[in-house]
Amino acid sequence: MMVSVQFWSYLADLAATRTWEVELTSGCTVGALLDQIYLRFPQLLPMRTSTLVALGVEYAQVTDVLAPGSVISLFPPVQGG
Amino acid sequence: MFSLLARLFHYFRPSKVVKTMFRSLNITSDPIDEVSLLRERRLSLMCGAVLVFSGIVRAEEKGEPIAGIDYEVFRQMAEHQFNRLFDTMESNWPIESVRLVHRVGRVHAGQASLWVELMAPHRQEALAAMEWLIAQMKQVVPIWKHPFS
Repeated sequence: MMVSVQFWSYLADLAATRTWEVELTSGCTVGALLDQIYLRFPQLLPMRTSTLVALGVEYAQVTDVLAPGSVISLFPPVQGG
Repeated sequence: MFSLLARLFHYFRPSKVVKTMFRSLNITSDPIDEVSLLRERRLSLMCGAVLVFSGIVRAEEKGEPIAGIDYEVFRQMAEHQFNRLFDTMESNWPIESVRLVHRVGRVHAGQASLWVELMAPHRQEALAAMEWLIAQMKQVVPIWKHPFS
């Protein structure tokens, strides 16, 4: 199944892209996808502990199971206001 | 006579009124027009407190002079998270109205990047809810600042 990954703020600069499409096996979790993301974009690893992850428009848990067409977003701590 | 009236009131009193907080959310690249916002205010006769907060871009960031801030937003998620915050606020305080405007894009120093208005029966709940809302916004709403010189 295909899922989309979005990078926001300076994570997009570091990844040198705003989106990445990836094919995963059915039943893949957010945590497993994150492992693949950090293999593909090792430059993001230093920010891993502070990176926030959303599935759609909700904050995600590593145990969340992805579905075909899921959109995962990675971004640094937010700073509105 | 009095006891008859009291009994009638007991049986025919209005059932519990379920109030819904008015909410308005605008994430925009347009300048915040406070005059228009104040003109559009809908003040209920039960509101004893109207609280307005304006967040202004300062001309420095981390001790360095800047000309302003570019705000980046993940709009769909930001709208969803703002509405979740409004839901929680409505559950926790008797807020009658919330109106929130957040700028995105380029905002120069001296301009407002955030405008929030809360209305409540009393000041304590308005002040507490305002503090909570802005603190939570800075934790969960996906908006990022990029200072420029």
